[in-house]
Amino acid sequence: MNKLVYKYSGLFCLLMLLVNCEKNNNQRFQIEKPINSGLDFSNTLKDTIGQNILDYLYYYNGGGVAIGDINNDGLSDVFFVSNQNKNKLYLNKGNLKFEDISETAQIEGKSTWNTGVSMADINGDGFLDIYVCAVVGTNGFIGHNELFINNGDNTFAERSGAYGLDFTNYSSKATFFDYDLDGDLDMYLLNHAIHTQESYGKSNIRANRNDLSGDKLLRNDGNRFTDVSEAAGIFGGPNGYGLDVSVSDFNNDGFPDLYISNDFHEDDYYYLNNGDGTFKENLKGAFGHVSKFSMGNDVADINNDGYADIISLDMLPEDEMVLKSSAGDDNVQLQKLRTETFGYHYQYSRNMLQINGPGHRFTETALLSGIAATDWSWSALIADYNNDGHQDLFISNGIPKRPNDLDYINYISDSQISKKLSTTNFIDKEALNLMPAGQLKNYYFEGEKGIRFNPVSDFADHQASFSTGAAYGDLDNDGDLDLIVNNINQSAFLYNNQTAQTNFCAVALRYTDKNLFGIGTKVTLYLGEKELVRELFPQRGFQSSSDPRLHFGLGKNSTIDSLKILWPDKTEQIIISPEANTFLTISYEGEASKSISKNLKDASTDLVFVREDSLLNTPIVHVENDYTDFNRHKLLHYKLSDRGPALAIGDIDNNGLDDIYLGSSKNQQDQLYLQTQDGFNKVKDSLFNTIAINESVSAQIADVNNDGHKDIIIGHGGGEFFGSSEVLNNTILKLNATLKSTQLSNDFEDTAVIKTADFDNDGDTDLFVGNATRSNDFGFIPESYILVNDGGSFSKQSLGELGMVRDAIWTDFNGDEALDLIVVGEWMQPSFLVQDDERFKDVSSDYGINALNGLWRCISSFDIDNDGDEDYVLGNWGENSKFQASPDAPMLMYYADFDNNSKTETIIATKKDNQYYPLDGLDRLSNQLSTFFKKKYNSYKDFAGQTIEQVLGKDHIESAKLFKVHTLQSGYLINDNGSYRFMPFEENLQVAPINSMTKVESKKGKGLLLAGNYKGVIPYHGKLGGFKGALILDSNTIIVGDELGLDFYDKVINQLGVIKINNKDYLIAVVHNGTVQFYEIK
Amino acid sequence: MEQFSFMRLSKVVLVITILYLGWSCASPKAEDVIVTQDDYFSAVDKVTQIMIHDIFSPPVASRIYVYPNIASYEIMALQNKSYNSLVGQVEGLTAIPAPRDINVNTQLSALIAHMEVSKTLIFSEDKLEQFRDSLYGVWASKNETQFEASQAYALEVASHMKVWIDKDNYSQTRTMPKFNVDASVASRWQPTPPAYMDGIEPHWNKIRTLSIDSASQFKPKSHPKFALDKGSDFHNELMEVYNVTNNITAEGDDSEEIEIAQFWDCNPYVSVTRGHFMFATKKITPGAHWIGITKIASQKANLSFDETIYAFTKTSIGIFDAFISCWDEKYRSNLIRPETLINQHIDEKWKPILQTPPFPEYTSGHSVVSGSASTVLTSIFGDNFQFDDDTEVAFGLPIRSFESFNKAAEEAAISRLYGGIHYMAAINDGLLQGRNVGKWVTNSLKMKN
Repeated sequence: MNKLVYKYSGLFCLLMLLVNCEKNNNQRFQIEKPINSGLDFSNTLKDTIGQNILDYLYYYNGGGVAIGDINNDGLSDVFFVSNQNKNKLYLNKGNLKFEDISETAQIEGKSTWNTGVSMADINGDGFLDIYVCAVVGTNGFIGHNELFINNGDNTFAERSGAYGLDFTNYSSKATFFDYDLDGDLDMYLLNHAIHTQESYGKSNIRANRNDLSGDKLLRNDGNRFTDVSEAAGIFGGPNGYGLDVSVSDFNNDGFPDLYISNDFHEDDYYYLNNGDGTFKENLKGAFGHVSKFSMGNDVADINNDGYADIISLDMLPEDEMVLKSSAGDDNVQLQKLRTETFGYHYQYSRNMLQINGPGHRFTETALLSGIAATDWSWSALIADYNNDGHQDLFISNGIPKRPNDLDYINYISDSQISKKLSTTNFIDKEALNLMPAGQLKNYYFEGEKGIRFNPVSDFADHQASFSTGAAYGDLDNDGDLDLIVNNINQSAFLYNNQTAQTNFCAVALRYTDKNLFGIGTKVTLYLGEKELVRELFPQRGFQSSSDPRLHFGLGKNSTIDSLKILWPDKTEQIIISPEANTFLTISYEGEASKSISKNLKDASTDLVFVREDSLLNTPIVHVENDYTDFNRHKLLHYKLSDRGPALAIGDIDNNGLDDIYLGSSKNQQDQLYLQTQDGFNKVKDSLFNTIAINESVSAQIADVNNDGHKDIIIGHGGGEFFGSSEVLNNTILKLNATLKSTQLSNDFEDTAVIKTADFDNDGDTDLFVGNATRSNDFGFIPESYILVNDGGSFSKQSLGELGMVRDAIWTDFNGDEALDLIVVGEWMQPSFLVQDDERFKDVSSDYGINALNGLWRCISSFDIDNDGDEDYVLGNWGENSKFQASPDAPMLMYYADFDNNSKTETIIATKKDNQYYPLDGLDRLSNQLSTFFKKKYNSYKDFAGQTIEQVLGKDHIESAKLFKVHTLQSGYLINDNGSYRFMPFEENLQVAPINSMTKVESKKGKGLLLAGNYKGVIPYHGKLGGFKGALILDSNTIIVGDELGLDFYDKVINQLGVIKINNKDYLIAVVHNGTVQFYEIK
Repeated sequence: MEQFSFMRLSKVVLVITILYLGWSCASPKAEDVIVTQDDYFSAVDKVTQIMIHDIFSPPVASRIYVYPNIASYEIMALQNKSYNSLVGQVEGLTAIPAPRDINVNTQLSALIAHMEVSKTLIFSEDKLEQFRDSLYGVWASKNETQFEASQAYALEVASHMKVWIDKDNYSQTRTMPKFNVDASVASRWQPTPPAYMDGIEPHWNKIRTLSIDSASQFKPKSHPKFALDKGSDFHNELMEVYNVTNNITAEGDDSEEIEIAQFWDCNPYVSVTRGHFMFATKKITPGAHWIGITKIASQKANLSFDETIYAFTKTSIGIFDAFISCWDEKYRSNLIRPETLINQHIDEKWKPILQTPPFPEYTSGHSVVSGSASTVLTSIFGDNFQFDDDTEVAFGLPIRSFESFNKAAEEAAISRLYGGIHYMAAINDGLLQGRNVGKWVTNSLKMKN
């Protein structure tokens, strides 16, 4: 009998699968029709005086959704906010059938304009209550935030007044959490300013409290809430455009912290809970940059490393047509003004994925992770929707009218319309009709190991929509998470997850009386090597609130090793081998099992590098002179003027101790520190003043004239000099009693690297001189060459136009005991130059190097696979910018004088959907090529969607010099018996450019230390500062980040070196435009 | 020999012409195409409209006005002996070819040349072509021969002009560096709200001048020394802007000062943000306003077609050189705008009545241009030439009446104080600078016999 059932059920399953296949086309979600589900809610907007996009800034923000089981029948119910009409509550009757009980439940609300909703058991009676936010006090909007206390019988009583939560201000969301860990739920109220932003005030106006628009922290004093914002250190300024708030214990100290997304130019706020009832805002300390027009956010541990990561949404379009017709990021000068003069943080208009780690400083990876551009985005919901053990991401988006359409901004030429817009109160239909709509399909991404996401475009059979609030919950209790999305002027979406028949674990918590649902509890699920962490803070999703039941996908595992529950009071409870694929309810066991957890993670104490700042009396500082390459070369994407400073370590004064030479930028003095037994002495010499104009980019210490004294050979360059500028020429510094400078070469080129070696084995020092490009003619390739030393006099052996060289090494790559040369640089591939009878020949392709152009920045030899031969580690640009390249779709750069004005330009194109498009928009292109483009394109619409061929014209495409980049990944060339294969590093080494490497010997053994980051890019790319350094021990053992003890986060490290002091090895890390760091190598 | 061949050629032309005339006499009678000053006004107005759409900054707009006028003028002056060619009077201009076809209607050619030269200077060529082609249709149907000959000649002159125009450094200045913002220098101009645009045309002083001998020929005296100490001249002027605008604002939108400020706003791109909405209200430039006044005066004085061309040409040269002179000083002194200083030091929330335009403060562009244009216009139409200025009616602003060009210029200049975008020195010194440019243009150009 049993067998029979099994058989039949198998058949049934098969049939079901077939049916499903046909019906759903294997889509992850099926949209359930309102007529079947009963969820017939639509957030319908009707423009009226006071309620339209002109009069109210956030008219198109839509309403929220809350999912939660209001009657404790095991089925999660759904609440919708309607902006202008009545709110709705639907009771889940099972099988995805819902009953509208709004009227009898008495939750329809009385405010003019409703926004967000939260479900939480505020009075601790075991029933979820509902808190609805409203905008009140402007445009005739009346009412107040409403608190619907659950009577336990599917009816509610509005009690906001009694609880002190009947706010009459501009609210959009409330989140309930126990910030002071006193056992009850407190509330953070998110408000938004509603005035038009015209000028940037100083950022510190956020300290001036404004009751209507400022956020508030409310402490629960026993079913009565007290505003403690000011004492707790919560900003409530007039410019807080709060659009979302998330709670998480970001620094794993047991106290819940906050991340607030603010729209427009106000910074997001990152509040760390001090544990004493106060918070400290630390955005600038923990984030290199954040999203600009920050909208929804969500927090979850994405890479399963035990640290909560953040997604913050913005409005960067993916679609080429929309992208090129929409206003984008600031220009570099405005960014500077906004950050330096007005005091705001670095903000860029795109989604941000902020990856947390042991040092609690966030590395932003949205571009690398593939989730930066989802257009006008509202809700982000991170969860494991496909139950594979990796977090996935749902994003709702859409805007009825796109106010940032550039044609609209610039060319609504009908002066009558613009006059009407500027003088009348009521929105003109005609004017609105001219503005393009942003009806969009929601986005869904599936995660994999690590931090990459794969877009799943066909994840549901849904229409483009204006989707705003969203929430998840397992509405049909089939073991996967379904989604509800609130739409403007359209029925809400019920996305029924079709993942079934996979393994999951759902956990409901029962904590103590005033927080029965256990808000703030952290649950870790152990699954083999994996640790999956979830925190219970259900208010997530834009203006929304998700099911307070934690959900884990288990992938192929049908068993769980254990669950660890860390309750808000920091007691820990472990459940061994809980049953998978069931709905667990875990209750707090009280004092009996109480054991204070050691779970709280700390940064490693096993550091390899220990900061040592007392080696010098005063710190060595590099100052980059203030020069904006982009003002002169308006099409550049990265600077040419900031490659320095040079670092050279060697014994200049012949006392047996290594000295330090540090180059300088234009108009700054080079520095020379001589080491003695008692420390370092800085050389004071008027020559440094004389030669200060030089930009010193590369340096070596070697004896070039065989006089037994070492000299400093300095490569000069920099993007500020051109033509026959003497300061471009390379020099030799000699130290006798005083310093003397002599000219090394007379090439007037921008030298990027000088490397010394006695390649011809004649007992003297020869030099490789690698040149980059010309600063007034980017794309021009100068000659690079070898200076062959013949008894103190040099003769030049040209190596031809190698490319935009940045680094090189002398190395014997063919094992013939004669030094060969490998040269790397930008828009070129590693060039293997073999020495054959003292002449050099490019033999790259013989060594397996083909189509490997990168934006290479550095190279080092290192036996990475421990097989006894030399491999070569290569630093590249990384994959975390707007640059995109792969061998199949290389990034292209065209170099020509496109407008025949005797000045060349470079124009970059990247591939998208099988076509190459210019990376720059019309404004940037016509900044340099004004008539050429403005005559050709009279509107942004005409330009948008144009391929690079169409933009430049066939003739230019054919005649321009073409540069390519095939990969932006850093990695290594592995030596396979004399041939080399490129192996990219994992994604955590691709988050920023890698600029420098040095070999170190530490307690971990022989290793290669990598450092990087780069900020000299246009704001379109952002700021590439999230790389914390990495120590490679071998290809499988790479220690990344804060665990090393390095303070490289958000700093640009341009040079690394190792120096012996008192017989100990010290690391020198040269921070561009910052203080040189010293570390003892342990 | 040469003469012979010329005569032979003339004979051929003569024969063809006679044949042609014979043929055309046979067809329904071909009347002369008559173009009037109104056609000229329309052509100029069309360019103005397109400039509003395309968004040209005030200096660039002055360039778009002047060259088409000069092309028309040179054609006209070749025919009308009352006028002298500008060859030898403006920098680098060479004599245009004479018409070889006797069917050329020079006035028609002058008008066509105006449109053709305009077309090369604006962006939205399709808009001008549409306008042009509808006129072409009318003219061709009236007298195809005359139209085609006149068009061919106009195109020849236009291409002759283009060679000269292309040498004015305009395309080179497109690729020159942007203005370098350095907020650490307290007196240095920086971008202003709400759009925080880059400083426009930082290299306009490198554009070839027409009449003045260099951009710096009429360099104004220095502005009061930058100082924020109470009682310093500079600080007094800063406070004057703050106080005057506050008083005006208190008086309300109907105050005469606000009307004056708005009347002379002449900002081609005012960025407006309302809630989430952003758009630009676009108006004519200061140069365009004075071109509009030139039209009003020409109409009132009943100028002929040729006289009209003369008036437009001379005035637009005055405007063109005035911008070069003014921009030379703007990016010499790089002075910070009152809005920035008031927000920084006096009142964080203060906003000027007009939107601050995106370039340094000293001297006031409108003052310089108005000074120059009014001086030139006075030389053409005489002083105390009363006129009713309806130039801004299309932008919803009223008509204002003036007793003279000079009075209008004075009002345009002081409007910048009322608007809260200039200190008094920029207004006074700017007006003087402009009048100097205008006097020079008036005295040095011998256009009319």
